[in-house]
Amino acid sequence: MESQSLQPAIVQFAPLDKLLALGRANSLWPMTFGLACCAIEMMATGASRFDLARFGAEVFRPSPRQCDVMIVAGTINKKMAPAVKTLYDQMPEPKWVIAMGNCAISGGPFVFEGQYAVVEGADKFLPVDVYIPGCPPRPEALIEGILQLEEKVTGSRRWPRVQCD
Amino acid sequence: MDFAKLKEQLTELALLEEVVVEVPAAPAEGEGGAEGEAAPVAAEVPPAEERPAISEPDYKAKGFHLDVKVEADKVVETAKALDEQGFFLEAITGVDWIKENQLEVVYDYSCWQPLCRVVIRARLDRGAPEVPTISEVFPGANWHERETHDFFGIKFSGHPDLTPLLLPEDADFHPLLKDFKAS
Amino acid sequence: MKQLAVNNYHQETFVLNLGPQHPATHGVLRVKLTMDGEYIVHAEPVLGYIHRMHEKMGENRTWAQFMPNTGRMDYLSALSYNHGYAALVERAMGIEVPERAEYLRVITVELNRISSHLVWFGAFILDLGGFTPLLYAFDDREKILDLLESVTGSRLTYCYFRFGGVYNDIDENFVAGTREFIKTMRKRMPMYHDLVTKNIILIKRLKDIGPISKETIRKYGATGPVARGSGVDYDIRKNEPYSIYPEFDFDIPVYHECDSMARYMVRMDEIEQSMRIIEQALDKLPDGPVMAAKAPKIIKPPKGDYYQAVEAARGSFGIRAVSDGTNTAYRLKLRSPTFSNLSLFGEVCEGMLLPDALALMGSLDLVIPEIDR
Repeated sequence: MESQSLQPAIVQFAPLDKLLALGRANSLWPMTFGLACCAIEMMATGASRFDLARFGAEVFRPSPRQCDVMIVAGTINKKMAPAVKTLYDQMPEPKWVIAMGNCAISGGPFVFEGQYAVVEGADKFLPVDVYIPGCPPRPEALIEGILQLEEKVTGSRRWPRVQCD
Repeated sequence: MDFAKLKEQLTELALLEEVVVEVPAAPAEGEGGAEGEAAPVAAEVPPAEERPAISEPDYKAKGFHLDVKVEADKVVETAKALDEQGFFLEAITGVDWIKENQLEVVYDYSCWQPLCRVVIRARLDRGAPEVPTISEVFPGANWHERETHDFFGIKFSGHPDLTPLLLPEDADFHPLLKDFKAS
Repeated sequence: MKQLAVNNYHQETFVLNLGPQHPATHGVLRVKLTMDGEYIVHAEPVLGYIHRMHEKMGENRTWAQFMPNTGRMDYLSALSYNHGYAALVERAMGIEVPERAEYLRVITVELNRISSHLVWFGAFILDLGGFTPLLYAFDDREKILDLLESVTGSRLTYCYFRFGGVYNDIDENFVAGTREFIKTMRKRMPMYHDLVTKNIILIKRLKDIGPISKETIRKYGATGPVARGSGVDYDIRKNEPYSIYPEFDFDIPVYHECDSMARYMVRMDEIEQSMRIIEQALDKLPDGPVMAAKAPKIIKPPKGDYYQAVEAARGSFGIRAVSDGTNTAYRLKLRSPTFSNLSLFGEVCEGMLLPDALALMGSLDLVIPEIDR
């Protein structure tokens, strides 16, 4: 899909941009866009044990006008795709998209020869920033996805990456 | 719920099918034994009998108690008989028998007390499948019939609103037919 | 003229679109509401936004390959769906399940039922405007998920059952953990009842709201807690016993008030009954294999059709399978309980206020991917 280029700001201050990026990254407001099973894991991530609020993503807003990041959690249907696009268009800039779960990445377990209803991945019509694989991904995986998005926005990672050997 | 009376009513409504009586191990719900049977033909062909197509399969093996085949236009009467006896509609679905050029509509009914599951089947011509709606008797059939129409293209005549339920509003394909090819 | 204008104003209705993205619809459900002010004149649910072709996949996948699909239909009580499908194929092929496997099935299914009811509880109160019970409910649910994860390997969309048993055995930690969980949950339930059930706001929002008569239940084929809240004593575990449920002593909560409060109370009582079943199952758990010794490797049920019903958390889940003797099903029909439960929404919510209709929808406990399959 074609990418749109935004008008760069007329006056740019590097330290101000860094500050703004830091602010945006640490208070990403996700949109409640749970479509299917991954929605429950998203709710569990926001609930008491995994607590997405400590990363700033506390307020899950139902209205697209008030959020920064759309976590596409679940299978996108051909019937639902126009609604998803409308919601994405309604979000104000700057905005990001996280594709959570196998269905949002590439159609998931519902792709088979002769399938007629599933859009094979959110990136068919949305610019996805972070992909979180899993069916459904664990809440820890969603938190890692948020941290990676923060890294994409600010350029540095809040938490050192845990090396498992 | 009076099982004996129900059986009587359904026997009256069932269609008559030819059953070759002598052949052992013929399945009770076989497709009209005389013609399509793959069993070897004996030296002398036993006479084919016309019997009402109602059978009581083994519940443990099959999961239902009565299996009735009816003509397409008897479906509403059957529904009324079951409604009087206090049954509820579990599901309506279709099966595509493409090799026999027929579509089958299957109605599953069940009763709260005592346990009784009844299966009503109606075979339709695959080219122009049409069967009357039972949504006057069981309002719950409304959605089931819309779904069956979505998947198989079966027309339920008299249905108040036969628009797509699960497929997009402008869908003109019927995905569960065996010769469906996704574009 | 002024009189005419006033009359015209009162007679106008408008169409309000609820969903498909809405915090209160538990998935992608769209309802076209024709409203007269705050009162609903006509409601038409529009489905299909998460239609994922499970029935078509039933024809494309082998019998064994279809098992993961069953977990993704109603993901909150995925183990009951696994159970229904496994029981269907076992019935068709005459596979005997060993006793220990049956006990493990019942224990895990009932744990899953409790966790499903906890999600329902949290989401329902969230719809009505209370955020806190969700956090408590999810906290309790995490304990169940830890237990089930240690046995099945998954948190949400389980694929634990196999044809002939289950694939993994439990150990002492699971038994001790489950007993510990039941003890803590029994201490938590009075807290839920004190804080939520006896809350005057909840009572005012649920009592006498959304009455569904017994006849409506029967005409629409609704089952599960929706039916039991209207005085229908119908539970597949008692009326059409499968697995080893006849060996346990438990009650089926039935309330006769027919309103949303009755449906709420049915589910809260079911949590307690599930805990009773789990305790009895843990006490009686026999030793033995967890998989049938002679479980066939190639699954080819004999020709014909079969039906199996199980009691999922939302009602009677039925599968009708038509087999043609090959290793894929000829037709696999999945009868989902919420499909029939939601079909009565259009008739029942006429004349209701919009917030009351949402309370009714929450009390029906909808999971839309199960409706759309």
